[in-house]
Amino acid sequence: MDFRAFPWRAACGRRKLSTTTDKRVGRNTMKHMSKVALLCAGLALAACTNADRFDDTNTVDLNGAGAGGFAPGSAQDPNSPLYFQQAIGDRVLFAVDQSTLSPAAMGTLDGQAQWLMSNADYTAIIEGHADEQGTREYNLALGARRANSVQEYLVSKGVAPSRLKVVSYGKERPIEICSSEACYAKNRRAVTVISVVPTS
Amino acid sequence: MNTGQVISGAGHLGLIAFALFGGAFQSEPLPFEVTEVTAISAEEFAALTQGESIPEAVANVDTPEPPQEGEAPALTSEADTPPERSEPEVAETPPPDEVPEPVEPAPVPQADVSDEPPVMQPPQEDTALLVPEESPRPQQRPAPRVAPEPVAEPEPDVQVDDVERQEVSPSEEPAEVVEEESEATAPEEATTEIVTEAEENDVANAAPAQSIRPRTRPTRPEPTETAEPAAPETDNSAVNDALAEALGQSGTSSNEAPQGPPLTAGEKDALRVAVQNCWNVGSLSSEALRTTVVVAVEMAENGKPVTSSIKMLSSSGGNGAAAKQAFEAARRAIIRCGSGGFDLPVEKYDHWRDIEMTFNPERMRIK
Amino acid sequence: MMRYVLSLLLACFMWAVPVAAQDGPLRIEITEGVIEPMPFAAPDFVSDNAAGAELGRQIANVIAADLAGTGLFREIQPEAFISKITSFSSPVQFADWKAINAQALITGAVSVDDGGKVIVRFRLFDVFAGQELGDGLQLVGTQAGWRRIAHKVADQVYSRITGEAPYFDSRVVFVAETGPKDARQKRLAIMDYDGANVKYLTDSSSIVLAPRFSPNGDRVLYTSYESGFPRIYLLDVGSVQRRVLESQDGTMSFAPRFGPDGQTVVYSLTRGGNTDLYRMDLNTGANTRLTSAPSIETAPSFSPDGSQIVFESDRSGVPQIYVMPAGGGEARRISFGQGRYGTPVWSPRGDLIAFTKQSKGRFHIGVMRTDGSEERLLTASFLDEGPTWAPNGRVIMFTRETQGAQGRASLYTVDITGRNPRQVPTSTGASDPAWSPLQD
Repeated sequence: MDFRAFPWRAACGRRKLSTTTDKRVGRNTMKHMSKVALLCAGLALAACTNADRFDDTNTVDLNGAGAGGFAPGSAQDPNSPLYFQQAIGDRVLFAVDQSTLSPAAMGTLDGQAQWLMSNADYTAIIEGHADEQGTREYNLALGARRANSVQEYLVSKGVAPSRLKVVSYGKERPIEICSSEACYAKNRRAVTVISVVPTS
Repeated sequence: MNTGQVISGAGHLGLIAFALFGGAFQSEPLPFEVTEVTAISAEEFAALTQGESIPEAVANVDTPEPPQEGEAPALTSEADTPPERSEPEVAETPPPDEVPEPVEPAPVPQADVSDEPPVMQPPQEDTALLVPEESPRPQQRPAPRVAPEPVAEPEPDVQVDDVERQEVSPSEEPAEVVEEESEATAPEEATTEIVTEAEENDVANAAPAQSIRPRTRPTRPEPTETAEPAAPETDNSAVNDALAEALGQSGTSSNEAPQGPPLTAGEKDALRVAVQNCWNVGSLSSEALRTTVVVAVEMAENGKPVTSSIKMLSSSGGNGAAAKQAFEAARRAIIRCGSGGFDLPVEKYDHWRDIEMTFNPERMRIK
Repeated sequence: MMRYVLSLLLACFMWAVPVAAQDGPLRIEITEGVIEPMPFAAPDFVSDNAAGAELGRQIANVIAADLAGTGLFREIQPEAFISKITSFSSPVQFADWKAINAQALITGAVSVDDGGKVIVRFRLFDVFAGQELGDGLQLVGTQAGWRRIAHKVADQVYSRITGEAPYFDSRVVFVAETGPKDARQKRLAIMDYDGANVKYLTDSSSIVLAPRFSPNGDRVLYTSYESGFPRIYLLDVGSVQRRVLESQDGTMSFAPRFGPDGQTVVYSLTRGGNTDLYRMDLNTGANTRLTSAPSIETAPSFSPDGSQIVFESDRSGVPQIYVMPAGGGEARRISFGQGRYGTPVWSPRGDLIAFTKQSKGRFHIGVMRTDGSEERLLTASFLDEGPTWAPNGRVIMFTRETQGAQGRASLYTVDITGRNPRQVPTSTGASDPAWSPLQD
């Protein structure tokens, strides 16, 4: 199957999810293409992937480890990481230079908190990012502020602090590469990347 | 006191007044279209003109005015007060007098003082049609050279030289100068101050805002200021020229005296201008640029400096090493621009056999 | 009365024409000059054998490139030469060099001995004065190290003529970049200041940022995501061995810089979303907190005497530059212009601070005095940042990134007068340069 055949993909342009998540997306979208396609159309940020990425051999399949039962791992499975990522939304956006959460961001984070509360097997790393307008050092610190805002909010909603880590990438990992506000707005973000607690 | 002197004195007073207030010696900005060209960078200019030769001056309706009456005094003395900021200055200065030009001789006593006037050159505004109309504030166009006077980019086939030369046949050139016989030369393109990228006005972006806090410039040495009259020094020298000549006419000195009269201010100016054209401080350290050196030189009667006689009398402002570099730059200036002989009146040789030149780079530091 | 007026008038004239009344030498004062590159000639260094001749050509080329690259000198192309240097010791035909307006002439000789040792001698002449400047020098090196020999010759010439301290024999550590903007691969690399002899110090498996040399150039501090989180690493340039500096879990540390003692490191540490400055003693691992404010404090840089630290903080609302004592304490703001100021770096001469400024959608590299006065912007582009000083404090290197999806980072240098901006040639993208001290 060639993704390039799908017209929605062209509309998405050259985008991808955060590096940590896109590998999973590759496998999952293979199975649930039509649904994902719909979601992509609906969610401005979702599932626009980079064709090269599908060649990755070391993709991590979370399906087996995810919550079992009904349609495991699918975006419809409310306990799946894909659901977290796409239906709830794994990211919140920030205004220029800001790290305060907008009402929309709080709504998203309420969903994230809920999901994390009901899926105790998962931990999360919150990645803070900045757009390219700013020095490298300052943007690292700014990204850290953003990630911290998200972390504090999730903790205030009951998620155990031990399950949340923060990291800032500053301007090192943009998802949008144009040099205009349309892209900058999407790059000023904090992404909650979930992962499975290693079974010991 | 004779009446002639009174009349002469009164006449000169009038002349001074005219000079100060009549605006005769103000170098009025020439038409501004010329400076608009500064809004494009050298690269852009090159790109625009690529593949086509620069339009000939004759074909150009907007050729800058040839020197007009009343401007010429500025020519002899402009170097005294070089433009320090990027005012809409004339981009080209009038051609030299020795150039046969269909121009009326300017009413200047010292008309044959050969400043190094840059070559007349077709203005580049022809190519600037793409530049938007709302030209940002006039700006120096960047050039790899900074000189007391801005010099437009010479025609491509003209050799760059410190002294402008007409194309001459081999036989007329001094024999010792090799390979210069058939090439016309012109001063290299220059601006009057260093233009950084940040100051270049690219059209899309206005120059960055200045600091709120005013920049403190290095304080200038008082001497240079106090030594000058309140009026621009340009006026002064021209007046002095006129005065010197008037005094000569009134018979207070005799031209038949063996050592001749002292050098006029105009003659001194010409020498100063000739030396400063070769005084290149561009390769000096910041420390050497803080160092003033006084250099003695002995001159031969043909106007050429005696190289071995050039020595440093004193220095101030920098350490010994810096003084050495500053002296060497001064020495190069004297030798290079004196290699063809300075234009000094031979009948006054006794007055310029020994010269002390003070090289003060203070003003060059802040370019 | 008439007499009085006239004498006043005459006095006025006399004052303006002092020469008229003066005996002794004619005195003139020159206050205006030109600023332009000095033309020089660097003919191929001579040699008595073929191997040496080739080396002599290459060495002359590197010397010429070094000097011309400063913007203070202009190379006269060999095609214009009238006389040929065939012997190192025979007298120079100054008239031939004057005729092509060569103001400085560099001649040299190369010999390669059986052991592969290279011996280079050179002389520098002031052509118009007809004099040799200084004493010629002899340099000995290896064949592989011929570029360093050339840089050293060029350093001597540059220093002798300009009076500035030398800087050509130096290196730059930087981040080599490949790949598109959203999947950029970064590796630490080191090269000669002119872009030659690139050597990689890390692989591209994790993001690396902002390497900084130790005061003698033997070690490099940098930030890496090797652990998944930004941490500071210390790398030995010779052995390419590295170690991570101690840091607590849940924190991020970055923006390190050596103090002039080579043992103290000042850096940013982020805990709970707040970034402050710390200093660490590399011997003991002991940390001292230098700032504690809810604002961002980052990009610290020591003054050359080690007594002060300049850094970037947004405590006023937008990032500005502050100076504080090296042990912490009250900070004084020194930048007051419109826009945002960042990444201040103290000049090795101690007199200036270079910085990045962001204003009206453009980035600039600028310099200001250490009290913030005399701010001067040297560059302008879509994105310029991260200045680093040449060892002599005369030139600044920085990162310039181009706009848009195809945006690429490269290294540029600019003279502190704002003249002569030029790109440093690198085969890959390049960012975050740090200039080494002059090599021994």
